[in-house]
Amino acid sequence: MLDKGRISSLQLLFLLSMTELATAFLYVPTITAKAAGPDGWISLLVPVTVYASLVVLVCVSLARRYPFQVFTEYLPDVVGTIPGKLIAGISTLVLIHITSVMVVEGAQFIQTNFLTETPVLVLQSVLALVAVYGASMGIEVIARHNEMVFPIFLLSLTTLILLVCKDINLNNFRPMLENGVVPVLKGAMTPAVWRGELYIILWLYPYLNQKKEDYQAAFGMVLLAGIVSTLVVATTIGVFGDLYTARLVYAANTLARYISVAGILERLELFIVIMWVAGLIVKLGIFFHTASIAAATTLNLKNYRILVGPVALTTIIIGNIFYGSYVQVVEFLSKVWPYYGGIIQLAIPGLVLLIAVLRKKGINNEA
Amino acid sequence: MNIFRRFFNKKPQPRQPDSFLDTGNGTSYPDSPSLSRNLIRNRETIRVVFENCDDLIIHEVSLGPNHATPALIIYFSSIIKSEVLQTGLMSVLLNPQNYGGSNISLDLLKNRVIPTGQVSEERNWPAIIDGICRASVALIIDGEDGALLINMPGENHRAISQPITQSAAAGPADAFNEDINTNLALLRKRLPTSNLAVEKFMIGSVTKTEVDIVYLRDLIHKELAGEIKTRLDRIQTDGILSAGQIEEQLQDSPYSLFSGIDSSERPDKVASALLEGSAAVMTDGTPFVLLMPTTMANQMTASDDYALRYWYASFIRIIRWSALFIAALAPAIYVALISYHQELIPPSLLVTVVANREGVPFPAFVEAFFMELSFETLREAGIRLPKTFGQTISIVGTIVVGQAAVSAGIVSSGMVVIVALTAIASYSIPSFTLSNNVRLLRFFFMILGGFLGLFGIMAGVSLLSLHLCSVRSFGIPYMSPLAPLSLGDLKDTLIRVPNWMMNDRPRLTAYQTRRQSPNMKPHPPAPDDASSKRKDKPDAG
Repeated sequence: MLDKGRISSLQLLFLLSMTELATAFLYVPTITAKAAGPDGWISLLVPVTVYASLVVLVCVSLARRYPFQVFTEYLPDVVGTIPGKLIAGISTLVLIHITSVMVVEGAQFIQTNFLTETPVLVLQSVLALVAVYGASMGIEVIARHNEMVFPIFLLSLTTLILLVCKDINLNNFRPMLENGVVPVLKGAMTPAVWRGELYIILWLYPYLNQKKEDYQAAFGMVLLAGIVSTLVVATTIGVFGDLYTARLVYAANTLARYISVAGILERLELFIVIMWVAGLIVKLGIFFHTASIAAATTLNLKNYRILVGPVALTTIIIGNIFYGSYVQVVEFLSKVWPYYGGIIQLAIPGLVLLIAVLRKKGINNEA
Repeated sequence: MNIFRRFFNKKPQPRQPDSFLDTGNGTSYPDSPSLSRNLIRNRETIRVVFENCDDLIIHEVSLGPNHATPALIIYFSSIIKSEVLQTGLMSVLLNPQNYGGSNISLDLLKNRVIPTGQVSEERNWPAIIDGICRASVALIIDGEDGALLINMPGENHRAISQPITQSAAAGPADAFNEDINTNLALLRKRLPTSNLAVEKFMIGSVTKTEVDIVYLRDLIHKELAGEIKTRLDRIQTDGILSAGQIEEQLQDSPYSLFSGIDSSERPDKVASALLEGSAAVMTDGTPFVLLMPTTMANQMTASDDYALRYWYASFIRIIRWSALFIAALAPAIYVALISYHQELIPPSLLVTVVANREGVPFPAFVEAFFMELSFETLREAGIRLPKTFGQTISIVGTIVVGQAAVSAGIVSSGMVVIVALTAIASYSIPSFTLSNNVRLLRFFFMILGGFLGLFGIMAGVSLLSLHLCSVRSFGIPYMSPLAPLSLGDLKDTLIRVPNWMMNDRPRLTAYQTRRQSPNMKPHPPAPDDASSKRKDKPDAG
């Protein structure tokens, strides 16, 4: 293993939850409300959870076969050297690609809402620099940092929801399932791949120190993130109605701006930006770490740390070339990302798992 | 990658022998390490070795039953206790009856004549020179190639007084001083057990400073004591004059702002740390004792917390943790709000703030930086100034920097409030080391807040938090028990639970974790118990 760190199952749960919640809750209400209308919260509650559970089942049972190696390390052993290296290379590139979207999302949000005159490149570089420091310190450091950040993150999100829940109009959820289940499923597509990002457990599994609690941590994340994101979507739709939600740019931010308690507690989007930056740095840290480990194992390097910087630089360049504007990001997230993510999160690991079962590779836990 | 390796892992060069560094005696070292039987030649050697040392006294006397044996008594008049020399040594040696008629010899002198216990016999020069330099009287007699060293140090240290940097309202008021034996006595009095181990080291070729590792043998992880010894052994220098020099040598991450080592001048704090399985390193000549391993939670703990009721102690703890954030972040947040996020300030407040800033020529960032720098200068001046001028500086500080700067239109009054707030907050951090670090970090955050607003501050906080999570103190994560989270150890972190609930020592530091009986919760006597007791009690009326 390239990183000697050890993380507990609780830390894994927090890390995985942060990967969804950090970016998702800003975009999810808008994207889901567009497709599913007033039933957006059902999308988050049922289909997304089912999809994410499938990803958990596939990825964890695959990881269990090689408990001390990362995905890109054992691929050649499962499917043969050349196809293995090929898939490993593709997985690495995909990791770098989706990380570049995150960098862009983060910087754009901050530029739009807070620092309108600061060049977006500066914001991206600052985010990336901090995350690079975290990633090169190792997974243990990121996990511990997140252990402090995530509870605060969750607490502020809950407070935010509690403060606006008096303004929820239940009529906004009616009529329920007006157009059948198809819109619900459509609305679930983007959030599903967001929660499906927990497939990076394929790279985090070796660091888990209590391997018996792997399913608890992964399913725990599916439930925890499921409940929180359902609440966020339900609150947004409940307060603004689905039509207005679909037109919002950053729904959660608008929600925070809406809060007014006794005329003193106002303009709480400050907390959103703070939470968001903290969460995004953790998320970027995990993905930089994962992408560098994937690249290092694919290229048979002994040290992943020298790759963290180049990986971060690549993500910034890719992000600026392909996702220069908010529209491009949302187009990618709602039209391309679901299929793309589905292939990389479920299809490829599923295929590899199938081959591993058939060729009896790795440790067979079922026996 | 080889390039990197060559760059960063330079092989240590074998050290060239250096007579001054190795012995602390430079060139004036005697040619032959052993003494001569000839007293005249010994006297010449002493003269050469202690050239120009005018406070060295060489006393030539005749000893023995018949005053027939010439002898030399050599000492530094400045460091020995002269009354002891007169009454305890000279008068005894010069009285012929004390020899009982036997022939004079070092053994006789050591065992039968000299009444004090701290006598040792040495046969080579380095030990004798060292002894003379460390407040011993050397006695060399004719015809013997040895010397007696009689230790009689003068007591040139101050009395036990109150702590200077870590005062406490409730709780003991004694503090360590510069004498290591006094410090050990203060500890031994609090921990009277054979379990209290004291391992002595001598560091510094010139200063020969005594450095002691102190720990409770059954509570400490054996590797910790071993590791401290290894790191102390690495120190090869001419002098150790402060605990800070030792601290820099003991750090896990040598470049980090956070050393993971706490220093305290309070014996009760050290005793309680030892009881939790930590080790203490005492340095002779300084009242500051180093404690390791240390976590940030430890550094936020004051002795008062255990002297006061737990409700109040917990309240104070929460105040203190908030003060930590205020001390580090308040000016940065002020700058960020004023320069970038005016919309986040409530409208009524915004009006006042803007009205105050009317006429201030500088941007908020410059203003804040200027004010914080001048406050730090004031603080430094307050420490350096002779005590009698202390009043002056406080007047100059409040009137000039406070009021006058506002009315001259150089700074806004809001900024003065912020600076005062941070100053108060930074003094409520119990650990001197941590408080200094926070003071430095404040400037880092101000720069971030000035250039990137709240986003920059949050990025900085994340960077700091990531760094703090990577710092270890002798293997113990500095941020534990917060990260990694250890729920059982949170009982003494942000709040303090009642004493009868703190049954276990911190899980990571102590070797044995059970501290006390788990059934200590006090309760009133059970009903039937009480009635029977009341019956037994003789009626007062």
